[in-house]
Amino acid sequence: MNTARGGGSRWGLWLGFGLVTVLLVLMMIQVDRQWQRMAEMTRIMQEQAEDIRRTRGLLRDLEQTLRSGDLRVADASVRASTGVSGLDAFERARRAAARPDYASGDWLMLAFGTGLRTLTPLVSADAYASEVQAYVIESLLTRDPDTLEWRGLVAEDWSISEDGLTITFRLRRDVNFSDGERLTARDLAFTFEFIMNEVIAAPRSRAYLSKIKSVTALDDHTVEFVFAEPYFNSLQLAGTLDILPEHFYRRYLDDPRAFNESRGLLLGSGPYRLADPEGWTPDQGRVELVRNPRYWGPVDPSFDRIVWRVIENDSARLTTFRNQDIDVYGARPREYQRLLDDEGLRERTLNFEYMSPTAGYSYIAWNQQRGDAPTRFADPRVRLAMSHLTDVQRVIEEVLLGYAEPAVSPFSPRSPQHDPSLQSIEYDLERARELLREAGFEDRSGDGVLQGPDGQPFEFEMTFFQDNEDTRRMVLFLRDLYARAGIVMRPRPTEWSVMLENIQRKDFDAITLGWTSGIEIDIFQMFHSSQTLEGGDNFIGYRNPELDRLIDAARAEVDEDKRMMLWQQAERILVADQPYTFLFRRNTLAFVDERIANLENTPLGLNLMSVPVEVYVPAPLQRKR
Amino acid sequence: MLLYLLRRAVLMVPTLFGITLVVFVVMAAAPGGISSQSLVDGMNLEPETRQALEDYYNRLYGLDQPAPVQYVRWLNNISPVGFEREADGTLGAFTLFKGSDLGVSFRYGRPVTDLLAERLPITLLLNLLSIPLIYAVAIAIGVQAARARGGRFDVASNVFLLGLWSVPTMLAGVLFIGFFASEQYWRWFPTAGLVRREAVDQTFLPWLASGTDLLVLFALLGLSTALLVWAAARAPRRARRYGGAALGAALGYLMAADLQGSTPTILHGILGLIGAGVTGAVAGIPSKALRIVLAGGLAIGVGVGLARVSGVEIVHGGYLLDRAWHLVLPVIALSYGGLAFLAKLTRSSLLENLAADYARTARAKGVDEETVLWRHVFRNSLLPLITVSATLLPSLLAGSVIVESIFSIDGMGKLAVEAVQTRDRELVLSVTLISGLLTLAGYLLADIAYAIADPRVSYD
Repeated sequence: MNTARGGGSRWGLWLGFGLVTVLLVLMMIQVDRQWQRMAEMTRIMQEQAEDIRRTRGLLRDLEQTLRSGDLRVADASVRASTGVSGLDAFERARRAAARPDYASGDWLMLAFGTGLRTLTPLVSADAYASEVQAYVIESLLTRDPDTLEWRGLVAEDWSISEDGLTITFRLRRDVNFSDGERLTARDLAFTFEFIMNEVIAAPRSRAYLSKIKSVTALDDHTVEFVFAEPYFNSLQLAGTLDILPEHFYRRYLDDPRAFNESRGLLLGSGPYRLADPEGWTPDQGRVELVRNPRYWGPVDPSFDRIVWRVIENDSARLTTFRNQDIDVYGARPREYQRLLDDEGLRERTLNFEYMSPTAGYSYIAWNQQRGDAPTRFADPRVRLAMSHLTDVQRVIEEVLLGYAEPAVSPFSPRSPQHDPSLQSIEYDLERARELLREAGFEDRSGDGVLQGPDGQPFEFEMTFFQDNEDTRRMVLFLRDLYARAGIVMRPRPTEWSVMLENIQRKDFDAITLGWTSGIEIDIFQMFHSSQTLEGGDNFIGYRNPELDRLIDAARAEVDEDKRMMLWQQAERILVADQPYTFLFRRNTLAFVDERIANLENTPLGLNLMSVPVEVYVPAPLQRKR
Repeated sequence: MLLYLLRRAVLMVPTLFGITLVVFVVMAAAPGGISSQSLVDGMNLEPETRQALEDYYNRLYGLDQPAPVQYVRWLNNISPVGFEREADGTLGAFTLFKGSDLGVSFRYGRPVTDLLAERLPITLLLNLLSIPLIYAVAIAIGVQAARARGGRFDVASNVFLLGLWSVPTMLAGVLFIGFFASEQYWRWFPTAGLVRREAVDQTFLPWLASGTDLLVLFALLGLSTALLVWAAARAPRRARRYGGAALGAALGYLMAADLQGSTPTILHGILGLIGAGVTGAVAGIPSKALRIVLAGGLAIGVGVGLARVSGVEIVHGGYLLDRAWHLVLPVIALSYGGLAFLAKLTRSSLLENLAADYARTARAKGVDEETVLWRHVFRNSLLPLITVSATLLPSLLAGSVIVESIFSIDGMGKLAVEAVQTRDRELVLSVTLISGLLTLAGYLLADIAYAIADPRVSYD
């Protein structure tokens, strides 16, 4: 009994000790949190003091001007500049802000399906990071979502020289970065210098910008881009260059490792900013942008904060959306169809099906050359026959449930690059058989499988990415279709890295993949015969001298109308030749919470994520945070 | 003892070496392999861009060299003694103090040490919460089941544990989210992550509107805890059962009311019955300690609920509670499998020892049953539990891979999966190195624990 009591008190001692330890640790965490909070407050107060100092400087200047009697001139120039801004990038945002139920406030809650590696511009390579950066960093120009024409954002206007080699931008005078520093032409020159510096880990951007010879700041508000050779996309290249603040990034030229390994060095002139431009880390499990209090633009963005949470599990993401903890949910066709029948969900959400211009197209690529020998797909009649056998319409109906449109060519049907008279190739078994017979493929042995002129049976492997359910279903469906014409297709599901290796070594018969797309796209890398080299994107060994000539001519043509004619001629060759069987362009399917107002489908896609921000939450629907 | 520890520590080195060698060989031999091409995954790159990227990676990591050379280079990097590495990738002078460098992750472009420092605490938090929970509950259940072998509790717990053990974590996690985190059913817990964004700006501890509210909350909590714990400890069995059943029925009714409103329907009846059955059965458990713990947990919930009903205004829950609230589902999902296994193990090992000669001798001497159980039998039955503890840590680390990806928690497990999927050589090697180290440390700890638990074991 005695020992039992002694044991009891010992246990009590340990328990008490444990409790005290836990309490101590909790207290330490609490003090730590207070400390962090105080550091944050100090930073904000310093920023504000800086603002006040700057404002005082401006006031002093104004007083000086008043004394010297120059006021009238200054006033006139102000009026002139506001006159120009009638056609700037903020037209739609202004219209949104004028709506009767417009209110600013509330948070926009979004979710990522995978974690982010880094938010630092140039180093980050994924679409998620660029989604965040779009709110923080601005460029000279932006496309108008209605007309698809270029509008000035940081640039007030611009001019292109006669030979198309020099573009001169005049910058707005009132733009500053989110830390209050002025944005000048020197920041643009610095951005170019920064990217082109070998020590910065941005080989991708470096290669992309290699067509630019120099970027010079002529004065504080004029910048000149000089190109090495005429290039059709020069305006886009210069106009969409993300402007990095020199005073923030310059120091990393001396310490490139700190930049290349950084997680969140993100500062720009955009409507939102990171609360701490250097302090973001991926382990927080979310990305959070706060409204830029010093935003220069004529229209302030509506949301107080934009928060991205990382939710990897699909069903958890859907549940979170149901709980209204996130505002947007992108669905796959089958899931979309099922959710449309869900009354509870539909009451509280808006659903959108739209064709995003960057959505791109899926295709089957036929390898025309393995080793040094041409394959059976080197014969254009065989490729055309395969396209006739691929019943794209039924694939769209049965696999994608109608949420896609047949692709005619690499060019989007909504782009001026496309010739509207061209149609996609219809399913036609008879025509396909005829074409195959012409090419020498017939069932001579009577076993139901076609034999080529060399007596070999018509068999091939279809390589596809194993983790995409829709692709798998499509390939299995196509196998049955091809079997009907006496062609044996063996599906070969492949891991992504293995697939890349196969492409690199050109070790495949046929492969199904997708390319992203845009308003005006370049087809040089996929179809020009110079790109059949090792590692090139013309991995099917497709060569057509006539097409090469057209692509070269179009890329060097600065005149838009002439260029579009050339692209359309190239498109006619591609449709007749069928180096790929062009499959479909998918719709983007999304559910958005009902509290988000002013959503609209534009030629650039849904305006939910567009910058300047056009969507908002009306005051009665806003949530108390 | 010290000598033994030293010997074991030195012996760890070749084991770890073997682990990394196997991992490296497997990675190098995998289809796709590790090459600069597999790192440049963007399909929309122009060829010059791609070439530039590949050259860059080759220069940085020496990926164009043969695999054995790469492995030796890697060994040199992680070893604290060896050749300096210059910025351009060549080797410098031999030195004794160069420090070990786990390298830079291909995918993240960041030092592996930083990544591990971010992720390891989260996984350790999950595991450090799970392991004591597993052991405490498993021992309580196992002892109780062994004590009354063949009794009602033994049979019921056997069936229940077998059921628990058979449910895959993946399914359980998704079901947890679907039922207990969705507004379609009961939205009691969060769906993902470790903290709500709003809670980051809140105070650390819960914040109540006024001092009287705090008093009311404490009074109600104290009252309900005292009442329920007293009832669990002292009330006669029959009273406990009926009281528990009544409480369970009320809770079941409230659950149904949460779904379909307060008008009674079939669902109210079913859930009320289930609640009554479960709580009634729990209230009838013979083990007093188990009952008190369960009653205490229930009492805190009931107390907070009563306080909310009686008008105590909680301005916000605070950071600490929010974190705890986020951890509930992941910790349950992580621990129930190990719990079932360990409880069965405890039971069988206790049974073996209870029937042993020394236990019978002790009883014959007149030692009371409690002392026989806890001082003699339990200590001897600990040995298999200690053996298992060495393998529990690695299996929990593996289990957190699934739990972390279901509940979107950024821990080591998720990092490991991503690293393998993307062929991130430095990261995979470092993660296996760390988990190998943890496993070996677990074995060592188990061996030391043997010596402490059993005086017959000695390493000198």
